[in-house]
Amino acid sequence: MNDPEGPGSTPGAFEPRGSEVRHVRRWPWVLAGLIAVALALAGGAVAYEQRGVAAEWRERSETLQAQRDAGIERERLLIDQREQLTRLVRRSEDDVVGLEDRLRALADEKAQAEDTATTVQVERDVFSEVTGRIVAATDALDSCVERLFELQTASVDAFNRSTAGEPVDVAPLNATAAQVTASCNEARNAAANAGAAADRLLAP
Amino acid sequence: MLVSSGLGACVEAPTEPLDDPGASSVVAFEAPDLAAGSLRRRAQEVTVRIRSLGCDQLGLGSGFVLPGGVVVTNRHVLVQPLTVTVNSWDGRSLAADVSGVAIDSDLAILRLESSEGLEVAELRSAPIEAGETIHAIGYPDGGPVTISSGMVLGVVDGSLLGEPADVIRIDATIRPGNSGGPLLDDDGRVVGVVFALETERGTGLAVPVATLLERLDEAELEAPAGC
Repeated sequence: MNDPEGPGSTPGAFEPRGSEVRHVRRWPWVLAGLIAVALALAGGAVAYEQRGVAAEWRERSETLQAQRDAGIERERLLIDQREQLTRLVRRSEDDVVGLEDRLRALADEKAQAEDTATTVQVERDVFSEVTGRIVAATDALDSCVERLFELQTASVDAFNRSTAGEPVDVAPLNATAAQVTASCNEARNAAANAGAAADRLLAP
Repeated sequence: MLVSSGLGACVEAPTEPLDDPGASSVVAFEAPDLAAGSLRRRAQEVTVRIRSLGCDQLGLGSGFVLPGGVVVTNRHVLVQPLTVTVNSWDGRSLAADVSGVAIDSDLAILRLESSEGLEVAELRSAPIEAGETIHAIGYPDGGPVTISSGMVLGVVDGSLLGEPADVIRIDATIRPGNSGGPLLDDDGRVVGVVFALETERGTGLAVPVATLLERLDEAELEAPAGC
């Protein structure tokens, strides 16, 4: 017979071989059973949880689909509104541009009228100046002519007296002639000034 | 807990919301015609018409308004000025005093007695470069306000043109009466002051903003010549 305990075993600690084998072989089966039960439970739990996750995904998908549809609809409405607003803005812009054009044209007319008024005012001032100078020239010429007549009268008188053999003092006559010359020179200057003013008025 | 961890490894519950395809497809609103209209409107609002009654002549030109009732124009628009009137684009007539004319540049500064309701121009500090699009605004021939667009041909030495620094050469149409008007960039900011037309080349010339900024200092100005 073979020694079941092998070398060195104690005779007093002997146990039958059959019972030990049974004890050793049952333990893995129990463990396997427990693991199987645990796996079954875990699998069930996983399946249960996955069903929940799937439901969440489905719900989310439906929600997002609804959001997407609503978003697309909202976008379509917004685009419509934007196009309407753009049309309105363009129409308003056209109106504004038309009114601005009109306003600009009126402003231009007003500015031109002011230019004309300013020019007319300048011309009126120049006319007034020319008129004043012509009046001054006329007065000076009148004075010149009057003095010429006086000189002529004095000259004729002196000539007659000289012819009659009376003594004639020519000094007053010369003085009057000098005054007449000065007066007529003044008149000539005044006429020249009036002419220059008139030329400036007529200048482009 | 253990089950949840295990579940996490299988299929995760939804955490992030999906992008809204409707929102991503909305295109940005663009209306270039309206934007251009707005630029034109602002350009004409800041540009004014200048009438200067001199000793024996009437000078007409353009100008633009800066904050504080300051109006910029050309020195040659104001010849022996006795009375200066500023006409806005919408028909207002405003009396102005001559603050001074630049000693060495074709610039003059006016001050309005009242500038209420007038739009003011914005000056661009960055220098202008060749090839940039510009718009010359003014009242050519004493007529209504016009906008003439073109581009910068270059920045040239201004010493031969009586200017102390460089001047801007442009190909936009410039006519008598544009003098003193603003030269605007695409954003409506002033980059120069139109002052001359080169008849041989058919190009316009403008004083850069840098020169203007230096001449805005009253120390650089003198009283205009009298009658």
